[in-house]
Amino acid sequence: MVKKRSDVYSVEIYGTKDLHKTEIEDEEEKHKEQKGNKKKKKAEDLKKELDLDDHRLSPSELEMKYGTSIDKGLSSARAAEILARDGPNALTPPKATPEIVKFLKQMIGGFSILLWIGAGFSWISFGIQLAQGVDSAFDNLYLGVVLALVVILTGIFAYYQEAKSTNIMASFSKMIPQQAVVLRDAEKKELPADQLVVGDIVEIKGGDRIPADIRLIFTQGCKVDNSSLTGESEPQSRSCDFTHENPLETRNIAFYSTTCVEGTATGIVINTGDRTIIGRIASLASGVGNEKTPIAIEIEHFVYLVAGVAISIGVLFFIISVSMHYKILDSIIFLIGIIVANVPEGLLATVTVSLSLTAKRMAKKNCLVKNLEAVETLGSTSIICSDKTGTLTQNRMTVAHLWFDNQIYSADTSEDQTTQPFDQSSPSWTALSKIVTLCNRAEFRPGQENLPIMKRVVAGDASETALLKFSEVILGDVMSIRAQNKKVAEIPFNSTNKFQLSIHETDDPQDKRFLLVMKGAPERILERCSTIMINGKEEPLDSEKAEAFQTAYMELGGMGERVLGFCHLYLPEKEFPETFQFDTDSMNFPSSNLCFVGLLSMIDPPRSTVPDAVSKCRSAGIKVIMVTGDHPITAKAIAKSVGIISATSETVEDIAKRLNIPVEQVNRREATAAVVNGMELKDMSSEQLDAILREHSEIVFARTSPQQKLIIVEGCQRQGAVVAVTGDGVNDSPALKKADIGIAMGIAGSDAAKNAADMVLLDDNFASIVTGVEEGRLIFDNLKKTIAYTLTKNIAELCPFLIYIIASIPMPIGTITILFIDLGTDIIPSVALAYEKAESDIMNRRPRNKRRDRLVNQQLAVYSYLQIGIMQSVGAFVTYFTVYAEQGFLPSTLLGVRVNWESNGINDFEDSYGQQWTHYQRMYLQWTGYTAFFVSITIQQVADLIIRKTRRNSIFRQGLFRNKVIWVGIFSQIGIALILTYGLGHVTALNFTPLRFQYWFVAVPFAILIWVYDEIRKLLIRRHPGSWWDKNMYY
Amino acid sequence: MARNTSTSGMEVQLRSPSQKLENKHEEKVQDPNRGKDEPKADMGSKTWADLAGEMKIFLWNPEERTCLGRTAKSWGLILLFYFIFYTCLAGMFAFCLYVMLLTLSPYTPRFRDRVSPPGVMIRPYLNGFTIAFNVSQPNTWQPYVDSMHHFLAAYDDKVQEEKNIECVPGQYFIQAGNESEEKKACQFKRSLLQNCSGIEDPTFGYSKGQPCILLKMNRIIGYRPGAGVPVSVDCKVQKGNESHLRSVDFYPGNGTFDLMYYPYYGKFTHVNYTSPLVAMHFTDVQKDYQVPIQCSLNGKGIINDLNSDRFLGRIIFTLSIGK
Repeated sequence: MVKKRSDVYSVEIYGTKDLHKTEIEDEEEKHKEQKGNKKKKKAEDLKKELDLDDHRLSPSELEMKYGTSIDKGLSSARAAEILARDGPNALTPPKATPEIVKFLKQMIGGFSILLWIGAGFSWISFGIQLAQGVDSAFDNLYLGVVLALVVILTGIFAYYQEAKSTNIMASFSKMIPQQAVVLRDAEKKELPADQLVVGDIVEIKGGDRIPADIRLIFTQGCKVDNSSLTGESEPQSRSCDFTHENPLETRNIAFYSTTCVEGTATGIVINTGDRTIIGRIASLASGVGNEKTPIAIEIEHFVYLVAGVAISIGVLFFIISVSMHYKILDSIIFLIGIIVANVPEGLLATVTVSLSLTAKRMAKKNCLVKNLEAVETLGSTSIICSDKTGTLTQNRMTVAHLWFDNQIYSADTSEDQTTQPFDQSSPSWTALSKIVTLCNRAEFRPGQENLPIMKRVVAGDASETALLKFSEVILGDVMSIRAQNKKVAEIPFNSTNKFQLSIHETDDPQDKRFLLVMKGAPERILERCSTIMINGKEEPLDSEKAEAFQTAYMELGGMGERVLGFCHLYLPEKEFPETFQFDTDSMNFPSSNLCFVGLLSMIDPPRSTVPDAVSKCRSAGIKVIMVTGDHPITAKAIAKSVGIISATSETVEDIAKRLNIPVEQVNRREATAAVVNGMELKDMSSEQLDAILREHSEIVFARTSPQQKLIIVEGCQRQGAVVAVTGDGVNDSPALKKADIGIAMGIAGSDAAKNAADMVLLDDNFASIVTGVEEGRLIFDNLKKTIAYTLTKNIAELCPFLIYIIASIPMPIGTITILFIDLGTDIIPSVALAYEKAESDIMNRRPRNKRRDRLVNQQLAVYSYLQIGIMQSVGAFVTYFTVYAEQGFLPSTLLGVRVNWESNGINDFEDSYGQQWTHYQRMYLQWTGYTAFFVSITIQQVADLIIRKTRRNSIFRQGLFRNKVIWVGIFSQIGIALILTYGLGHVTALNFTPLRFQYWFVAVPFAILIWVYDEIRKLLIRRHPGSWWDKNMYY
Repeated sequence: MARNTSTSGMEVQLRSPSQKLENKHEEKVQDPNRGKDEPKADMGSKTWADLAGEMKIFLWNPEERTCLGRTAKSWGLILLFYFIFYTCLAGMFAFCLYVMLLTLSPYTPRFRDRVSPPGVMIRPYLNGFTIAFNVSQPNTWQPYVDSMHHFLAAYDDKVQEEKNIECVPGQYFIQAGNESEEKKACQFKRSLLQNCSGIEDPTFGYSKGQPCILLKMNRIIGYRPGAGVPVSVDCKVQKGNESHLRSVDFYPGNGTFDLMYYPYYGKFTHVNYTSPLVAMHFTDVQKDYQVPIQCSLNGKGIINDLNSDRFLGRIIFTLSIGK
């Protein structure tokens, strides 16, 4: 059994998979032998260390094992030797990717590589043209420089965004204690904690951080706070006794990085550095690969799509131009233009900005997003694995039920209670309230009189705090009541007695009797009682009343609540006069035949906002799974009260109970809910886990170890779900990292959890997640709009090149001009779409299907490219031909003129009217054409921006003016165009010229056409859902 | 404390699965293997054969009879849609251009701001602005001479007398009347070019190392150069030793463009218009030397010093005359 246990733990920490996987891998993949062996060795190494049996050994055996002496400690020489062997007691930081590598990755990722190719071609053609002595060679040099600048700037932008996300290991290293008191050479020394070695004898006192994993050999009132390791917030006492097979639960081991809350202890160091439990979790967390976020996948898909289009069109037209007997050099220059026109240079930056805007909006709603891409992930989440304590619940014990006079009363458990509504008229309640008030060692910290009771800080444990607050709410000033009933003797709670007892003077000056009050485990209290108080009268405790007690006790216990029994006894005045000296050691007073007064049960109640949030998740098609370390019964009770298990659904056990048949005979499919115990989970194969996750819609995992969380997350991910995980402890960090989106608690969360997470809930409130989901879904829709908007004009930028090549007309738009559209006029409008309100209730929709609902789907691309994009091109070409015609070049003249038009030598080029133009005059006209084309695209992009506000609804329903930022976008777009045209129109390098004002309006009819056409499209989509039109036109 | 009660309840749940523990252990060893393979297939480390297969199915799926993911009917519909869509767009495009062209006059472009002031060109113009030849090798200058003869064919005295009228020199030849009426053109006879007319010396001086170069001003509709004073031409060495260019003769009349040839009315009404020329006879240029020469127009309203446009009101060419 013992052996199996430790096996089980090795399984838990590393996951069965990894261990077996590595071994099998080794056998199968011999070509990877070397790497595999290393892996295998590491895995076995870890496994060996996990067979921790130090907690079972006696101190002398430990001395033997580690070659140390409890009285003298290690010798300095020996310590140095071990230090040299094991290395310092510190966590190894993960191999960080060098910053420069990260930076370079940004430089070649996404569209950058295409633009680099463009820049490269520009420089090559510059070189060739320079050698040939062509005057315009430098244009290509500049173009290359501009393209490189665009790549570098967007790269820096992306790098800066990435650099913001922090490194998980940072907080692990922060947790290392600075100094430790060590016994060496029979002397106490203060050493830096990283000098500790296995076998060292260390001393710890309250307030210290434990410097390594330590087997305790001497303790005095020692308590440790293991919250950073297990997430349990209550301090746990530590002693020298071996209390549990499981090294994680036995009392005689204290773990690295946890805190000693009170008392002192001495112990032998048994593990240091990476071999400590926390070190292993840290390595586990860093070993868990960060999954690509769904939006990253979508953007990658989009980049591939656009790059594919760019390359295919580029290559196609390269071939066409070569076969049309263009010079190779010219063909290469065309290729650059086609690439630049196709790549939406500004889009990735726009996406980043949109995401960070949403992140800011979410931060206002208490969702702090660390990893920008996680903003959308939350929107596509289909399963939330939520922690119970602190997230779903208030993380404080509160009195939930009372039982007296044979009746159960419910108490108010909301966050801001000021009164208690239950019937307080019974004299039994008076007696009970007195016991609750008096038999309590908890006190409010001073100076909090102005705070609401529920917010005050209390010195005392969780249950006593709950009782203190409960009585303060009902009775008012508890401290003065206690002062009036002076305490004369007290036996504090301990785990053997399981009760707490105190004796008080009464506040009635007439009554000279002492009042003995007692509380504790109900069955223990009942044992000591002979009577029971009913309606203020003591009645003998017969079997019928005892039965009533049992029923109430079971009922309260069955609700997952922590039940306490209360009893009292007025000591007879004769036997215990005023001067009587009570001695708690000899117990010179009765502690049996008391009068049972009542039961109080406490629970960590759910937050009031949670049930609503859970039902919202439901309607949004998100499955909420509770994963908790708590007891199944408590877990189930909370799950029921917040709606994770809905009122009507039953577990297999419930059905078995109802039908009175064995659990095995129940048809598992009938049960919608399931409560899975950690112990069951341990023995489950992944298929079984998958089956549970598939078959049950309402699942609670109770008694789970943190490592099982990881297994559950993996199980969910196998279903193809996008999984959000909440957590707060260090132990949660692997699961947080494994999850598609890890959500850490801002208040209760440990630093490691916060670092591993993608998002931090500042108020620890589950309801904030729902806000996040809503924002995430909205941003997905809006990014679709942004991308549709941005892609459209790419066609209007591309067509000029294609027609230029085929029809040999003067170039309609320049490469630099395209960059001014992509990185100038279009940026603010596309960001503005991120502010668009949802078209319909996005929270009534199912989460998007990762495989089917793509960010950029065929319909979006086709509609943007082949319909609106072409319309824009036509509009822009009308402007282009108008400009040329009004200057003397009628459209018919323009066809096929390219070679002569661009010739430097021909300075008497004849137009349609017989006038003659110098080369520069033609170029100036060409730039006017660029400007006109640019202005037309800008004007039509305004229409495009307006139609992209909605995908299905009419613009008029969405409201033209609701999103003010759109108007900022429109004005900025036109403003930038005005500045470029009239302000920079004289800088020849930019190829803008001051344009005649009327040309701004040539494309307006086409802008209107775009709007009208899109309204018709939307109308038909709404009128004929599911039709051919809907399928092909809805993106 | 109270937890004790709840654990008792928990154990009931626990018992049954824990009994299965032993026999399940075997399964468990194999499971990770399977669990590992699944994601691998999922990860998309597909072989090329798989990809090619998928591609094939995408190109032509025999089961669903789809090509590129669409059935014949679907393709038909979508192509029909785009046919109609693009036809409408093309119609709209054509209509817009038609309306725009309707607003234009066929005789005068709406704007002439970009084509004026006039640029300048020279003849002969073969492959650039370097005129290089060796006097002793006729084949080096013969192409220039041919080009000049060809260019001047339209200026033959006979042709000019036949088609054009004689005008009053020294004043603009303004022809009022309807825009669409045909305009008369003034005679510019080749003989006006005297030594450079190619009549007496059919080699235009090239055979003597004294080449003639013709200079013409770009035509601009309605443009009246010089505002009443004829525009004249002068030449100088552009960069370098000025003594390399010792003498230039200009024809006709000291190198001026007579006012009577302006304004120009456009090629539809001013059909026989021949641009006036100025011939430059480089009688004494440094031999065996590349002499860069800039010839500029001078007159009111003429711009000849724009850096960006080296052909506006001036022209730069190189003379390289060898023996």
